[in-house]
Amino acid sequence: MTSLTRRPTALLDGLPQSLGARIEPGPSGEVRLALAPLAFERAARMLHDVGARFVTIFLADTPEPALVGAFALRGELIVLRAPTRGAGPVSYGALGGWWPAARWAEQELAERHGVRPVQAVFGRRLTEPDADALDQRVHGLDAFPIPYGPVRSGVFEAIQFQIETGGETVARLQTRPFFKHRGLEARFVGLTADRAVHVVERVAGIAAVAYACAFSQAVERALEVQPSPNAERWRVLHAELERLACHLDVIAKQAETTALYVGQARFQILKEQVMRLRARLTGSRFGRGVIVPGGVRAVGAMSVDELHAALGHIERELRRDRRLFLGTPSMTDRLIGAGHLPRELVENYSAVGPVARGSGLSTDARHERPYGDYRRLGLQVVTHRQGDAMARVNVRFGELFESLRILRAALDHLRHGDGELRSSLPAAVDGAAFGWAEAPQGELVVWVEIRDGLVHRVHLASPSLRNWALFDRAFPKDVLTDFAFIEHSFGLTPAGADR
Amino acid sequence: MLGWIARGLRQGRITTRYPRSEERPPRGYRGCVEVLDASGAPRALAELCPTAAITVDSHGQLALDRGRCILCGECVRAAPDRFRFESRYQTAARTRSALVVADDGLADEPDRDTLAKLAPALRRSIHVRHIDCGSDGSEEWEIQALWNPYYDIQRLGFFLTAAPRHADVLLVTGGVTTAMRGPLERTWQVMPKPKALVAVGTDACSGGLASDRRLVAGGVDQVLPVDVYVPGSPPAPIAIMHGLLLAVGLLAPGELVA
Repeated sequence: MTSLTRRPTALLDGLPQSLGARIEPGPSGEVRLALAPLAFERAARMLHDVGARFVTIFLADTPEPALVGAFALRGELIVLRAPTRGAGPVSYGALGGWWPAARWAEQELAERHGVRPVQAVFGRRLTEPDADALDQRVHGLDAFPIPYGPVRSGVFEAIQFQIETGGETVARLQTRPFFKHRGLEARFVGLTADRAVHVVERVAGIAAVAYACAFSQAVERALEVQPSPNAERWRVLHAELERLACHLDVIAKQAETTALYVGQARFQILKEQVMRLRARLTGSRFGRGVIVPGGVRAVGAMSVDELHAALGHIERELRRDRRLFLGTPSMTDRLIGAGHLPRELVENYSAVGPVARGSGLSTDARHERPYGDYRRLGLQVVTHRQGDAMARVNVRFGELFESLRILRAALDHLRHGDGELRSSLPAAVDGAAFGWAEAPQGELVVWVEIRDGLVHRVHLASPSLRNWALFDRAFPKDVLTDFAFIEHSFGLTPAGADR
Repeated sequence: MLGWIARGLRQGRITTRYPRSEERPPRGYRGCVEVLDASGAPRALAELCPTAAITVDSHGQLALDRGRCILCGECVRAAPDRFRFESRYQTAARTRSALVVADDGLADEPDRDTLAKLAPALRRSIHVRHIDCGSDGSEEWEIQALWNPYYDIQRLGFFLTAAPRHADVLLVTGGVTTAMRGPLERTWQVMPKPKALVAVGTDACSGGLASDRRLVAGGVDQVLPVDVYVPGSPPAPIAIMHGLLLAVGLLAPGELVA
């Protein structure tokens, strides 16, 4: 497992020599390159130019203190590691100036850990937001800033948007995350991998299964443990049920924004049915406590036939409700054309999940770097090219049915026998690796370092934070009243972004 | 539109009868942890809990603080003779100390002024406002669910309002992060009296797993007086409904149905 099982893309053959970098062994799917901090920006630019997607940048501590950048490129995670050798300030060239996807990650690193890229120009403080501090840039006769949040209208999570408008068109939008920063990455330190799962499940509660899967897979890759195929199948089952709940939630909220209350109720009913199914299956409405490093803990209190019947019912109802939703012009007219995101913009911001797939990108961790049982079950990636809120809703509709297909396929295989569901983790060992999962909000990447069997460091690259940077650009021709439609079409969670 | 109406009618009634009759969770639902045997406990039992919800005093008397419990099940798995998951929704209490359980049953709750006592006319028209102070996002889902057709809390006279100045009850989620402290205090301040504050979720009761006190205050009651605590990670919609009914006095402590 420690050797490179696949050849990195042809591009990488030239990359190490020209940068003075060397390829290090890493788990499959990861190409690790060690280089000098000053070569970091140049390497990132080469990756950018061949179409890599920015994932994250952070400080790692294994095998030595280093600045680490992760980039997704054609089925591999390219990892640039620039050792910082302890003493002295780290200096590296800023990526954010020419790659907007890197801006927030760089700024967070600078503000929290004092690692400032040279020639970086950051705006207002990102990580310690002040609800009252407005900074108006758009001036004119009628222009005024509206601070929307962190106390929202309705039951929503805390985040603030500063909207500058003359009353109709949105001249400038600034998203301000981190009102909910709880310091959870530091909370992992010193816990056993088993106990650390409780923390990762509570980073983004609505995507608890995806977070637990990505974390567990990182631990397993770091410690070279292979969960049993049956355990991997159960993980897929819980993860796809979570996706059903999240996508149904987004669609119900879209219906609510047009005051299509019957439609809202229909999708809420379906979502509640999924939540109850998960409660029966796991004892938790959010599937918590099931996924653990090495496998899965409890397996269902329901028979395969019962699950098939429940899914069949949901699928039938969903088919009818989708037809009605798509046939209601008062609904679709508000979504078509709203919040248009051209493909190049989405690529430049390295967006992931339904937001990227709604603009024609087939970005999906289950497809790019298949993990667990997705290697066997496969995935039809659902994309739409229009790039508007309607396309993002259509992606979710498509994915609901694809999730149901995967669920049924997984269930068919579960019939055959019950294998060992948990492989034991070796005690008191060291290791470090990335793990990933496609959360309902998009690709989630987790870096985990284990020392003496305890978690030493964790870094979470959440899809919500990465996609929110793009939200500022989602109002090219849209007016203030489109705000709720466009926000819900992103379907993100502040808790995951703020950590 | 007719299609939607036909769909709605064909569904029939799915709304819970709670609180007229009890709503039972599915078998195996992890609603709260019950203490089976609280005496003669070894000190090491306290180490099982990642949020220090379990304490053992010098006499070996064990106590479990549900306001800290995140329902992770570490104790249930390690000491099944002492702890058990209980499939129960009604876990809310009007005092923080009433969330601490030992084998001597429920701690007594002093009779406090509820919203209904102070303003009986409010009984059937309660306006609810929510503020997130650092939840993990799941509590918001469960609060939103109260207005879905399964729970339909509007039938009991609870309405969601966007304006704190119209609100009678404030639902707070999360352990109160630094950036949310000011907005929380101001929201509470502008609400007219009489008013009630309900802390929803273990994070709001105690801060939960977030343990860095420079970042998270460690529970809403560190900032403002709390009328009802609803523990759970997250609490189910019926559990939150129970908390709301306690807050307005439509249910008394210990009463399961109205």
